[in-house]
Amino acid sequence: MDEKYYKSIHRIGRIGLIIGIAFMLGIPAVTCTVFNVWPKSVAEVMTVGAGLLAVFIPTATAEVFAYTPVLGSSAYITFLTGNVSNLKLPVVINAQTLTDTTQGTDEGDTIAAIGVAVSSIVTTLIIVAGVILMVPLKPVLTSPAVQTATTYLLPSLFGGIFLSYMSEDCGEYIAKNKPLTIVIPTLLVFAVNAFYPLSGKEGFAVIACMALNVVCAYALYKAGIIKMIPKASLKKDAAKAAK
Amino acid sequence: MSFNEIMNSVTLYALVGAGILFILIFCGVTFIKAYRHGIEIGLTKDQLRTAIVSSAVYTIVPSISIVIGLFSLSAVIGVPWSWFRLSVVGAVTYELMAADMAATGAGYESIAALNAAGDPSVIGTIMFVMSIGIMAGIILILFFGKRIQAGVVSARNKHGVVGALLTGVLSLAIIEAFLPLQMMKGPVYLAVVCTSCVITLIQMFIVKKFKIHWYRNFIMAVTLLLGMMSSLIWVQILG
Repeated sequence: MDEKYYKSIHRIGRIGLIIGIAFMLGIPAVTCTVFNVWPKSVAEVMTVGAGLLAVFIPTATAEVFAYTPVLGSSAYITFLTGNVSNLKLPVVINAQTLTDTTQGTDEGDTIAAIGVAVSSIVTTLIIVAGVILMVPLKPVLTSPAVQTATTYLLPSLFGGIFLSYMSEDCGEYIAKNKPLTIVIPTLLVFAVNAFYPLSGKEGFAVIACMALNVVCAYALYKAGIIKMIPKASLKKDAAKAAK
Repeated sequence: MSFNEIMNSVTLYALVGAGILFILIFCGVTFIKAYRHGIEIGLTKDQLRTAIVSSAVYTIVPSISIVIGLFSLSAVIGVPWSWFRLSVVGAVTYELMAADMAATGAGYESIAALNAAGDPSVIGTIMFVMSIGIMAGIILILFFGKRIQAGVVSARNKHGVVGALLTGVLSLAIIEAFLPLQMMKGPVYLAVVCTSCVITLIQMFIVKKFKIHWYRNFIMAVTLLLGMMSSLIWVQILG
């Protein structure tokens, strides 16, 4: 990976996050000052916020460690603009699949950054449009049919994106039978979820599945079931066949 | 001034507008940097265009569901702060929960009851609690983002073929963790998953058969839309 770009994109991401945090705290601070509505004490904020922090710190920790290996340098914008699992992760997977690139490579990381940046701009602009057109749009978008359809956004999304995961592309290699890796982890998630509902704990489930994937893929590779074929050799073979 | 007047004030609109502008600038700078780097490392213009178009088109439908969340949230905490919260980190369920906890902490039955009472004294608490409660992920990524990515890149580079395989299978965890949970939520969820999968297959077949490769950028967006629409039929049959 290009060291100069790598350092620079992370620096931009960190600066962006720090400014983002400044806005998240600065907007309430200015509002409180202008309208004289400061909380009575820090303790009041912490007492009310403690419950939320107790729930969200473990979840956020799991999500950061689960999703960053997939998101790469696009993780900064992703975690600042939110909607990680329902929007940014599918965008990255879809863009990488369509461009035959993989995370962990310079190309895959660049495509992820482009995809997430574009996606965040589009979402932000659509929300702006929603604010401007709130009066005429509200009756349409809050109709029972639209409400029902949006309830099923995630099953529709994961049903559709499932086939993208069947790709055998693995950066500079084609990993024959790589999709077999998902069998055991998926069955385990089905089994665990039947007895111990995992809803709301997806971040933890992703980390566990990542560890299982590494074990399963290694076992399948050692057993000769997954075969790694360099793309360069495939191209040579294709060129020979063409001659 | 009442709760609603402050939460829909010009001052708050101006502050939020500046925040949204910053988000757009941050995304724009990252995009330009990544795009230029993409050209430098030999990604073709076609690949870059594919990443841009597919991401933009796919984003439209989920973003509309965020706008729907904006309508529900703005009814209780006003338009500008809802707008900012849903543009930065938040999701409507979290925001409602956080606002509700702050309102109940102040002795009200719910955030709706607080809104109806018009009490402005808890505005500061609500806004700070909503911001601080969800900040953990951002702070963690600030400290660990680079290290995590460096770990993946180094594992890939150090271990040759095996490294490429083992880092290449990490992303499979997303579908392994999310798909079973959606399929087990109920018959309508299961039917929508299967419908979306079939819709994707049909579109992939059409792309291959008629060699319309440009259409690949739209497969995800069309699937999402048709899958969600199919839920209206499945609810009637199985709901």
